[in-house]
Amino acid sequence: MMDRRAVLGLGGAVAVGTLLAPGIRLLAAPQPSSSSVPNKTEALATQRWAMLIDVNKCSADCSSCIAACREENHVPMFGDADRDIHWIRKVELRDRERRKPTLSLPALCNHCEHPPCVHVCPTGASFIRKDGLVLIDEHRCIGCRYCIIACPYKSRSLVYFSTQMPIGGNPKIPIRAKGVVEKCTFCVHRIDEGLQPACVEACSRSGGGAMLFGDLNDPKTEISQRVKMLRTEVMREDLGLKPHVHYQGL
Amino acid sequence: MIISDYTTIKGCSKEYWKLVGGSGLMLLAGLLAFLIIEINGHSITNMTNQIVWGTPHVFAISLLVMASGALNLASMATVFGAAHYKPFRRFSAFLAIALLCGGLAVLMLDLGRPDRLLLTMIHMNFRSMFTWNVFLYSGFVVLCFLYLWAMFEHEEWIKVAGSAAFAGRLILTTGTGSIFGVIHARELFHSAVTAPTFIAVSLTSGTALCLLLLVTTFHYTNRSLDFRLVRGMRNMLIFFTLMVGYLFVIEKFTKFYSPAFYDVERWILAGPYSPLYWIGVIGCGVVVPLALLFHKRIGESTKGIMWASALIIVGEMAFIAHVLIAGQAYPLQLFPGYEAASLFQDGQDGRYFPSIVEIMLGLGGVGIAGLIYLLGLRFFRLLPERVVAPAGWEPWKP
Repeated sequence: MMDRRAVLGLGGAVAVGTLLAPGIRLLAAPQPSSSSVPNKTEALATQRWAMLIDVNKCSADCSSCIAACREENHVPMFGDADRDIHWIRKVELRDRERRKPTLSLPALCNHCEHPPCVHVCPTGASFIRKDGLVLIDEHRCIGCRYCIIACPYKSRSLVYFSTQMPIGGNPKIPIRAKGVVEKCTFCVHRIDEGLQPACVEACSRSGGGAMLFGDLNDPKTEISQRVKMLRTEVMREDLGLKPHVHYQGL
Repeated sequence: MIISDYTTIKGCSKEYWKLVGGSGLMLLAGLLAFLIIEINGHSITNMTNQIVWGTPHVFAISLLVMASGALNLASMATVFGAAHYKPFRRFSAFLAIALLCGGLAVLMLDLGRPDRLLLTMIHMNFRSMFTWNVFLYSGFVVLCFLYLWAMFEHEEWIKVAGSAAFAGRLILTTGTGSIFGVIHARELFHSAVTAPTFIAVSLTSGTALCLLLLVTTFHYTNRSLDFRLVRGMRNMLIFFTLMVGYLFVIEKFTKFYSPAFYDVERWILAGPYSPLYWIGVIGCGVVVPLALLFHKRIGESTKGIMWASALIIVGEMAFIAHVLIAGQAYPLQLFPGYEAASLFQDGQDGRYFPSIVEIMLGLGGVGIAGLIYLLGLRFFRLLPERVVAPAGWEPWKP
């Protein structure tokens, strides 16, 4: 017969084990190998993915980048303007002195070199990949929203509503979870297959061809040459975050 | 100085059970709100993608700030040698734990995914102020327990444990203030004086809450409290409130020197959240309490001091609400010098009004703190039957 102390001890051990087991399983979860995915390229520390947006080629009435992003990444519209998820949005800019014409440009996650969202994330759910992409491990996000507070670009959204995977949806896109934070990934799944982000492709196909994407560290790429030659600007340069979305023609 | 034996209360009066029932109801309301949010998601609240921290955070941070301030009475006696506050040390340290538990519970229950809370213990990012706060909060509770243990069992350790708890409370509130102070992106948060201001506000609100609870607890349990000690606490409130006012002024003074802050400062002083600032933060938090406490007649009466204390607590909550809500509502400046507009409310002031479910969740934290305090009075010898200040000691008269 077990005495009361032994029963309590056993119960406590079971409770602690139950509490810790999921965490231990998470720790032990095997990392997916890139070789198991066809056409998968490995992220390199020498790469720095960046985007250059020519504001002069972006018209106010075009939103092909947004539509492509929503379709590619299953970003839903809830019909609630305050809580809709925006991975990419069109922003109208007007200088305060009203000397220049109103500009229209897409705004998205800047995949900063020094991302404040990554710095403040308590669990490391927001992280920087080797190639500089700022991503979110949605299984590790606890929904504290500190990253939304810290991001100066308003690039992150909390998922306020339950959603469902659309029929025939892209299986490479993680199922959207209520209560976690998400944002633009530069279409990481496409980059890993050697493709351009959906917004960039759509812009060149049906938009004004305002978006250019590539490796900023590779001197042969068009983006690295243009960023080097032309006068470009980034959002909130004063913060020193080294954002990787550059704007030309502001 | 006369300190009679510390005793528990009997806890069988109708009034006591009414208070326990009231706190229990608030706790139940909080749990119900948590379940509602769990089932429906945060869409049931009035939080948006611009105001992502709402009323639950106001309650949580207010309780956490007050928790660190509640330890002030104990620190005055142990660290600063103000022996006349010695009788309140146990009460003070215990109340700090109670308030901290209430605040932390709200913070955790408002997570988007509270089921993943364990991840904060497994995956830690030591660059995050939140991670540091996990350690600071739990560390503070441990330090307060050690302090209580020393007071109850091992008096020789009181000085060491009390000093450690005092250091802990300073670091804790620095951590809480730094959650906001380090955020460069938000003009309203980012300041080197944000953390010190949080410390000053914790001193005012924590001491005010101690004063209110001491006077009412002594009164309703038929204990005797020397009014000179209440006047001593009033003086502390005057000093701390002046410190808060000074920090507010020095921040405004610094920011108005830089044209880069003209817009945000004008927005704070005359924008949509200016009533919260002027009436709540400045009026209730600084000006009216000071006027009451300095008043020759009101400042010398228990009622007057208690009204001032209540206003200081309202002012503290208004301060936290202002930092949090107005801080998020002020539109982010994507390109300084440009006005922005979009479907995602770029360039617009964030709109927010608390929902019932958020208030319920916040009250749940108050209920937890209240229950712990009431049960503490019942089961631990926290307060003496009679406290008389040292003969000949007279507090300063403003």
